[in-house]
Amino acid sequence: MSISTGPTSEDLRVIAEEVWASYLDPEGIRPLLLDYSPDEKLDGSDGEVSAAVSVTGAWRGHVVVACTSAASKHAAAALLGIGLDDVGGDDVADALGELANVIGGNVKSLLPEPSALSLPHVVIAGPSSGSRWPAVTELCRLSATWYDEPIVVSVLESTSREGASAA
Amino acid sequence: MKILIADDSRVMRQIVTRTLRQAGFGGHELVEACDGQELFDATVKEKPDLVLSDWNMPAMTGIEVLRALRANGVQVPFGFVTSEVTTSMRDEAEATGALFLIAKPFTADMFRDSLDPILG
Repeated sequence: MSISTGPTSEDLRVIAEEVWASYLDPEGIRPLLLDYSPDEKLDGSDGEVSAAVSVTGAWRGHVVVACTSAASKHAAAALLGIGLDDVGGDDVADALGELANVIGGNVKSLLPEPSALSLPHVVIAGPSSGSRWPAVTELCRLSATWYDEPIVVSVLESTSREGASAA
Repeated sequence: MKILIADDSRVMRQIVTRTLRQAGFGGHELVEACDGQELFDATVKEKPDLVLSDWNMPAMTGIEVLRALRANGVQVPFGFVTSEVTTSMRDEAEATGALFLIAKPFTADMFRDSLDPILG
């Protein structure tokens, strides 16, 4: 089923800014910059991390957070309150998964009910779009920069009944 | 008082702990659980004075744990800290006996508003 309204890129901006203000940049020192994003750095290469939550029910699709490895380490350090050098691989997976969960949960509140949110799926050093999501259309996207690294949040709507469980 | 924090994300358990401190509730004993089953077991064993639980967790969801606790006669004060808050979830949580739902992302002020009546 397709939806005619929301979520939009503006919704994603509001949600992301709340997440950054609460968890990733509470002091307002390193805000998410929305005007520029070198998306070409997110090309599915080894340096990419992505996390997704799937929504099933009255609306079916995925909310995906993708960023470079460098940005993901900054996110883990900020969320855990530890130094960059102390961030391990498990920290990155946990941090990006929780970011996807929080953003995805807020996106879900804009979607038709009833629906269910999955636990996050995290892929380190793999593609965030294209072949990983073969049966979707992109509903909206937020491209931003943090610590001079690109971060992309996208909402992908499933185009087939089977696509909803493709995560 | 003893507070049990349940979330499958270690990052989020840490953020909840930090926010409790920022909200002025830093002096309490904290216990953690990383999935629904562990939450149920720890609640029975540790007898916390308050449970702060994620909704969506492996093994059992937070609402399933709350139902199981109430079915077993455990009346611990129970609140949700969750990324998804819909009207139907609020209704379900309230009907099952939850005291509050705090939406992620949250602030220390939101914690203070919900927890002051219990811990204040």
